[in-house]
Amino acid sequence: MKNRLKVLRAERDWSQAELAGRLDVSRQAVNAIETGKHDPSLPLAFRIARLFDMRIEEIFDDEI
Amino acid sequence: MTNLSQTGPGEARTRQRQRRFVFYLGFSGLVGGIIGLTVGAFDLGDGNLFSGDWDKLALDPAIALALAAMLLFGFALLPLHGFRSIDELKRDQSLVGFTGGCIAVLAGFPMWAVLHAGGFGAAPNPFGIWLLAFLGMSASYLFARWRV
Repeated sequence: MKNRLKVLRAERDWSQAELAGRLDVSRQAVNAIETGKHDPSLPLAFRIARLFDMRIEEIFDDEI
Repeated sequence: MTNLSQTGPGEARTRQRQRRFVFYLGFSGLVGGIIGLTVGAFDLGDGNLFSGDWDKLALDPAIALALAAMLLFGFALLPLHGFRSIDELKRDQSLVGFTGGCIAVLAGFPMWAVLHAGGFGAAPNPFGIWLLAFLGMSASYLFARWRV
């Protein structure tokens, strides 16, 4: 699944470790989501959306 | 001047998570080392926990109880606690590992038994079965980690 996580993170000048800490997951999890190798669970997707104050579908896209 | 050591709250939490992981790893190694050393130092028989003649192993009852408690802690309670505290990616990887360990025994034991019946190798033994599960689990977990 494609996502805009890396772009959103870069816009805030956050490292992967910074985003991981804010989401309470490991840095490896952030990296895996950014590279599309891991699709987050629905609860984590909601946490990500809340952190960036966006809707889930504005961050994740399963149609690309 | 920029303070390079200054990081955000997220990075601090990530460093804390990494420190906790290293602590668990070190603590597990310590418990494993104590178990191995105790078995080696206090064995009263001719057996060996890590070979087929484990039934000849003889331990003082109090030491046996202490070791059993440490093994329960090291192989059941600590992993269960760790499993509850890891994130969803590592939980997925651990589930792949557990599945691999289970399949290794489900397929490995009957294969080993028929191979022995056909004259290939030693008869299946409890430590060998445990090793099958452990190696199957470790290989599957490493594969899951490498894939990501």
